[in-house]
Parts: sequence; C-alpha cells; structure tokens
Amino acid sequence: MRRTLDTGNAAITEGAIIAGCRLFAGYPITPATEIAENMSRRLPQVGGYYVQAEDEMTALHICIGGSLGGLKTMTATSGPGFILYADPMGWALGSEIPLVVVNAQRVGPVSGITGAPGQGEFYMSRYPTQGGNYETIVLAPNSVQEAFSITVEAFYLAERFRMPVIILADQLVTDGWESLSIPETPEEVEAMGLKVIPRRINEGPEFYPATDEIDIPPVVLGHNTDAACSDWTPTPEGYDTEEVDFQHKHAYRLIYKVRNHKDLITRYESYFVDDNPDLILVAYGSPSRVVISAVKQAREKGLKVGALRLISLWPFPDEIFKVPAKYLSVELNYDGQLVREVQRAMPKGSEVHFFGKCGELPTVAELEEMMQALLAGKEIKARNWEWEAW
Amino acid sequence: MAKRTEVLVSGFGGQGVVRIGQTLSTAAVYQGLNTTMLVSHGTETRGGYVRTQVVMASESIDSPVVENPDYFIALSKAAYNRFISLVKEGTVIYDPAYVEPDESLPIKQVPLAARDTAVKELGRELYANAVVLGAMARMMAGLVDKENILKAMLERIPRFHEENKRAFELGYALMPKE
Repeated sequence: MRRTLDTGNAAITEGAIIAGCRLFAGYPITPATEIAENMSRRLPQVGGYYVQAEDEMTALHICIGGSLGGLKTMTATSGPGFILYADPMGWALGSEIPLVVVNAQRVGPVSGITGAPGQGEFYMSRYPTQGGNYETIVLAPNSVQEAFSITVEAFYLAERFRMPVIILADQLVTDGWESLSIPETPEEVEAMGLKVIPRRINEGPEFYPATDEIDIPPVVLGHNTDAACSDWTPTPEGYDTEEVDFQHKHAYRLIYKVRNHKDLITRYESYFVDDNPDLILVAYGSPSRVVISAVKQAREKGLKVGALRLISLWPFPDEIFKVPAKYLSVELNYDGQLVREVQRAMPKGSEVHFFGKCGELPTVAELEEMMQALLAGKEIKARNWEWEAW
Repeated sequence: MAKRTEVLVSGFGGQGVVRIGQTLSTAAVYQGLNTTMLVSHGTETRGGYVRTQVVMASESIDSPVVENPDYFIALSKAAYNRFISLVKEGTVIYDPAYVEPDESLPIKQVPLAARDTAVKELGRELYANAVVLGAMARMMAGLVDKENILKAMLERIPRFHEENKRAFELGYALMPKE
C-alpha cells in the first residue's frame, strides 16, 4: 500500500488505471485538468492510449469508439464541458456502451469561476442527453480516498450495467489534497473491497434482449458480430429499426435494467438517524463533510439531529428517507436541486428546508446556527441569498 | 493520538503559501496522520490573497474547513486583515515585513522575520517560505517531527536544496519552542 498526499484528480487517475482503463480522451479544464495530465503520463506506462481531443463532444465520441473497440475508457471534464457530452452521451446510453465520465463540478452557470466548487449538475447528471427513456448511474465522492475507490466502482458498474457511469465530483474533491492510500497488488485491491471485471465480448446473436438483465457482455465490434451499435433504436440482434414495438422493448430495458437492480448501486452513509431525530441534514460531495462535522458536534451538545450522506445520487435513493422529520438539504448552489428530490422522497409528516452556498463550503458554525433555528421552530430571517425556507 | 490541528497559511501569490501547506500536509502523512489541504486563490487577482487550509488528525477528518486555526501564518497585510478574526485560541505567526499586528487582540501573536532573514542570510526572498517551515517545525514539535517536515520540504521544493535547508534551520532557530 502506498501512502501519499495527493489530489482527487490523481486519485481518480490511479483508480481508473487499477480498474483497467486503457483509453482516456479529453479536453483539459479546471478543476479536472490534472486527470488529463496524469492520464497522459500513466496510460502509456500500462500500454494504454491518451487522446487529446479538439473538444468535449469529440472526447466522448472517442471514448465510445474505444469502448466499441474493446477497451475500458474514461473522459473527465467540468460543467462547461459536461454540457458538450450531451450528444455522445445519448449514444452511449442508448447503445449500452460501457464507459466512465467524470464531472468535477465548479460554480456556474456557464464558465463561472474555475477555482470554486459547485453542485449545479445534479439534475443534468440525471438527464445528460435528450430523448428520455433511460436511467443514469451517478456516484458522488466526498474525499480524495473515496474518489479513488468510486472510480474503480464506476468501471465495475459500467461493465455490469453496460452503460456510461457518471462520477459527479466537485472542485474541492478533485483539486483538494488529502492523505491517500493506493493499493499496489491485486490482493491489496481486493482487501479494500474493490472489484474489477475484465472487459468481456458479446458474440451474439442477441445483443439487446427485451429484459431487465444485467451482466450481459457489451458489443465489441469486429468479433464476428453483426450488431450495428449505431445511435438508432436496435432490434435485439442489433440492427437499426423503425418499428415502434422494438422501441418499447428497448426503452423498457434501458430503464428497468437500472431500476430493478438499484440495490447494486445505492450507497449512502447515515449518522444518528436511529432515534427518530427531529432534524436530518442531507448532502453529497464536499459539503457533506462539513455536515457530518456539524452533526457530530451538535449531538455532543445534545441536539437531536442526524445526517444522510448520499454516495449514489441516481437512481435516487428514495427508500433511505424513512423517518418523518425536518429535512435540511445543504448544497453548493443557491437554486436548490437536491432539495427537490428530498421533498419528493421524504415521508408524510416531514418538512423540507434548504441551505445553499455558492462557490464555497458552508462552515460548521453556519450549520449549527441553521440547526438551532430549525429545532426551535423559529421563523428564519432570510440572510440575503444564504437562507431560503423551502 | 493527535487531536485535530488546523493550520491556515495566507499571503500573496509567489510567497510559497501553497508549498508551505503542501509541505506540512506531506509531513503529516509521513507522521502517520490523516490530513486534508484546500487551496483557494483567484488567478485574476494581484495583491489579493492565496490561502491554504491544512487539517491534520489521528482520526479521520470530516470537515476540511479551517474555522478555528491552531496556527495562522500571515504573510501579507491583506491576509492578516481578512482572516485574523478566525483566531480565537490559536497562535498567529506573522512576518513583520508585511504585517503590522493588531496588538489590542487577546491572542498570541509571534513575529517571524522570514523575508528579512532570507534576504540577509541567503540573498533572496525566495527562501522565506523555508524559513517559515523551519519555524513551524519548532512550533509544531510534538505533533509533527522536524525530520518529517524537512523531508517533506525537500520533496515538495525540488531545487536549491542546500539553501532551503539553511533557511529551514535559520527559521527553526528563530522560533521559541512552544
């Protein structure tokens, strides 16, 4: 085991290498630039390929090409590049092409500020392309170490579910420095609970069964297969079709292969939720770390509060919102995104509140003030943009 | 067991603020501690501030935000003015070449003539951050070993090792032991 101080970007790079990624195509952008930089150095060392694309749309197309050629592939960007993935993302989702996409969120909209964190693509990671009739798998690390392990897991899920898996990180996770343990042998990888599946090859004749099955090998072109793997709706044999009956079956497959195996995807952490707390804070990514600190300190002071930290964001883990309580969604945006899902998922008798920060983390002191006020049932005085009853 | 220790380093671009943070964090790894380090700066600002927030602890670290610094290393007036209110029980280490401390505050404030020492003894201001690291090795004795900070510094600063080592020892000698 190698113990070091490094960034989330370095951790994601090493996770990808260990997971078997052998092609990276990307267009560098802060705060994900070092993933491209590190990949350009690391991939040639393991017989892989680094491609500097002319833009993000091309980058994801190259990843699709690499995956259809039998390689595990990854691309990485931030919000301004993630929007350009929209076109190829639909192809990867529709034709069930495994690959991994990293979005290191920075504050937006548009180019925003390069060196400030944001959480603006929560819904965009659910709907990263047009057309509907699909589910996405989205994972959100909150530390450098977890950025490493989630990258390995993203490749694992991509192969099993045969689809793009999105890692929704943020600037503080990717550009932040932290102590990091990297396994150096297969035994150490296994001891960390990480699983790696080699790329398999589907030899047909059926490539897109009208079922919710997972663990079906993906199409690799050139292996005596006739699957077109185009961006049109396929027949089970992989031919393009205009028959709406096939459209029904394919849409069912894209949606329910994820929904019906949600238990393989859903991951979260809960803190102090077993004694029916009065207030539960909900967060993902880097603000969740401040939330956990704040809730631990509040418990020491006798406040009956808990926390839910989401690790998988989509499919949304409705089932973990069991306790009727006041819920406070803490996010790195002012518009409130996660809070809408919390409002939808929370049980009857609950109420929902929102605390957003824009471009910087909240502090423990700020969160304590929010918790005290909410527990006291006080009318919260709006502090400009910082507080909004939901 | 080392309790959570927070270090805030701030100054302007070019002073080695990030290197100081990286070195202390790397030394914490050598010490077997957990550590986080956040860097904030504006690429467009001049005369503004660069800030690194370092946390180290035996246990896993939840919030990486420095809200109650045990050590605040202030290397510019702007940095001092911006962050001094965070210091409640911690120690301020300031460079008098840039910072005129507010003596009315009921906190411990220690001058460290990093710039002048680097210029006078080594001829270049460039080594001032190594002076700071030497001083911190003295301040943080008992939490992080001097050898680990020195080793981390030589790893994080790849050039002029002899000069940086001298600056480090000068800083170490300047600082009274905590």
